[in-house]
Amino acid sequence: MSANPPSRDALGGVRVVECGDFVAAAYASKQLADLGAEVVKIEHPRGDTARRRGPFAGGRENPDASGLFLYLNTNKRGIAVDLDRAAGQEILARLADRADLLVHDVPPASIAARGLDDGELRARRPGLVVTSISPFGLDGPHRELHAHDLNLWCAGGLAALNGGGPGSDDLPPLKAFGQQAGFQAGLNAAVASLGALYERLGSGEGQLVEISAQECITSILEMTYEFLPYMGLVASRLGQKPIQPLDFLECKDGWIFICCVEEHQWHRFVEMIGTPEWSQMELFENRMTRAANWDALSIFLNEVASEWTVADLYHAAQARRIPFAPVSTMGDLLDSKHLKARGFFATVADPDGSPVTMPGAPYRHSATPWRIRRRAPRLGEHTDEVLAELGYADGDVVRLRADGVVA
Amino acid sequence: MKPRAARRRPLEGLRVADFTWVWAGPFCTLQLAHLGAEVVRVETASRVCVTRMLPPWPDFQPGPNRSGYFNQYNQGKKSLALNLKDERALEVARDLVRRSDVVVENFAAGVMDRLGLGWEVCRALRPDLVMISLSGYGATGPEAEYVSYGPAQVPLSGFSSLTGYPEWRPMHVGISYGDPTGGLHGAVAVLAALFHRRRTGEGQYIDLSQWEGTMALLPEGILSQTMAGATPGRHGNHDPQWSPHAVYRCAGEDRWVSIAVVDEDEWRALCSVVDPALAGDARFAAAADRKRNEAALDALLGEWCSSRTPEEVTAALQAVRVGAFTVMNARDLDGDPHLSGRDFWVELPHPEVGVRRHAGIPYRLHESPVEVQSAAPCLGQHTDEVLRDVLGYDQARIDALRADGLLD
Repeated sequence: MSANPPSRDALGGVRVVECGDFVAAAYASKQLADLGAEVVKIEHPRGDTARRRGPFAGGRENPDASGLFLYLNTNKRGIAVDLDRAAGQEILARLADRADLLVHDVPPASIAARGLDDGELRARRPGLVVTSISPFGLDGPHRELHAHDLNLWCAGGLAALNGGGPGSDDLPPLKAFGQQAGFQAGLNAAVASLGALYERLGSGEGQLVEISAQECITSILEMTYEFLPYMGLVASRLGQKPIQPLDFLECKDGWIFICCVEEHQWHRFVEMIGTPEWSQMELFENRMTRAANWDALSIFLNEVASEWTVADLYHAAQARRIPFAPVSTMGDLLDSKHLKARGFFATVADPDGSPVTMPGAPYRHSATPWRIRRRAPRLGEHTDEVLAELGYADGDVVRLRADGVVA
Repeated sequence: MKPRAARRRPLEGLRVADFTWVWAGPFCTLQLAHLGAEVVRVETASRVCVTRMLPPWPDFQPGPNRSGYFNQYNQGKKSLALNLKDERALEVARDLVRRSDVVVENFAAGVMDRLGLGWEVCRALRPDLVMISLSGYGATGPEAEYVSYGPAQVPLSGFSSLTGYPEWRPMHVGISYGDPTGGLHGAVAVLAALFHRRRTGEGQYIDLSQWEGTMALLPEGILSQTMAGATPGRHGNHDPQWSPHAVYRCAGEDRWVSIAVVDEDEWRALCSVVDPALAGDARFAAAADRKRNEAALDALLGEWCSSRTPEEVTAALQAVRVGAFTVMNARDLDGDPHLSGRDFWVELPHPEVGVRRHAGIPYRLHESPVEVQSAAPCLGQHTDEVLRDVLGYDQARIDALRADGLLD
């Protein structure tokens, strides 16, 4: 790897306006901000939903120091503007006049009412890319339906693939932890926005980019959806898995995920645990028969696992090229020697100066590294600064603040 | 209705040498193909992509060109078959790198170096190259050589310890979530690097660890530990603040609906449909009360849903702007008038499986024709075309390569 010192930002000088609430638009513009773009986030004066979300240091609520907000809004400046007011929309329009990209997750029914109509903004500034993230997209019969993250995980088809299990098929379909539909929509929005910005380097023109969160989920169902058009079958979370071992076992001090999808991995594993004869037993001779007899086999394997620590079993298996993984707790991740050696976690001061450790770079560029230049803003921290840049006089700002248009 | 687009696709004119397999890498190059790049998948017949050999297959007949899994995530790409076990074929691969703007690979650590296709070699072949390695653990660190499988990335990343029912073991999330997440982060990273290259002429190398990319989507878990010294625990479909927030069984065979209420307006609206008396029930008066009495609230809503279909619940609650939606399975998605109405699905002819429905592109660029251009390639379908048109080989040279078994 080249040892050149970090010199430039990939997206230096790219100007982005974000009108996001909670995760989707915020994660999209975080991708750009952490690679050097200059992002101004517009929040409602009552503050972003993530500010009330936490986690909070010591459990004490503090809208300036909510962990989720601090993470999603690194490298952004923040202004608080009420976009339901005409004077607020004028601020947005002036910001958009100087921007390369506007990304928002305002619901379709409110887009025009909040001054975010892409046609009007682009009539003033043809080079503007406007990226709209919404639950179901900007057209189609469901365009105005109301959906939170859980609803979207279900609407896209992912919840139906998880949950329950043999003997527990009465348990409901299960979401993944966190606001994952929002993250997926945000990632797709970053991809599509960067595509449009790249095209603009040649054409000089902006355009409307549209993201449907439901479609973002439907496009990551692995091979499951295709069972229908290819075989007439509907994939289900219920019943036995087709191949094993591919399951969780409880060790002395936590859980491990064992994975032997290739026969050589199974042979090496049973040798490692001192029962090489299992690879010859008819009941367990291949991954399909092991799945059919998993009720019995898993009892034996749980006994084996109970004599190991997670770390010992993980490293012993990996030393034999068997792809086991620990069920990492949050503490395990923070203590991981591997992640420490790579310097994954980033520590950023919160607005009061207390250090907060959070996930760091999801990718490492050799010439233009991901980096944190600025912590997330307090509510309205840059309102005065940004309005001055837009040409508002001090008196105007005082009046706007008194009227509750800005904070 | 899709917008009619007038301009070029963003990455038109750029070429991607695609040395990926399974899901993460192909999902990264799928985005680049969607955005208009010419993506050339380099494949070796004796060691084809795992997904070519996995179901589903039409008529239960396996075959490298028949898998719905491969055909979903390789739409719009070309396939160049090269026997990468032979140095002479590797020289052809290097020729492709010379004529490519981007190299994407997700082999195990060290494989590209052993093939003589590592970063230092590739950048010498093409000084302004953008190259990305997507690996499970990343290119450095004490576990860089560990074996990484998609299903094992979910527990490794921390997702399984936080996903599951209360008092129950850790759970999966339903798919190998680190793969598409890594692929999308990879696409972001490549696009930003291309943007930089367009402005400065400078290429670069990107090291992406799927493990790290997946943890980037777990801030609430990781920050609970670092800020409050506690791990969130497994709470099924419940939310730490909002209630009701769950999936309820409905009338019918394995039919379910999700309901999520995040503020007082939504709560009152829900009450107006389910039972107006609930609005005055002290057990559920404020969010904290509903959270405290969540078991009773779930029982009550479960009872209400049990005699209705998920579509009836969704219609009734959406009418008053409450977040409710059916737990969609493949058949529901297939019949969804909304997805069809938006032309989401892609149905293009394929020489071996005919026309099959595939998931399309979840983003639209209204002025650039971002659409899937062709079905996934058969193994080696574009070998001659790429050798001739991209690498400039004449027919005699192609014939000689084939006679030597280098194009398998």
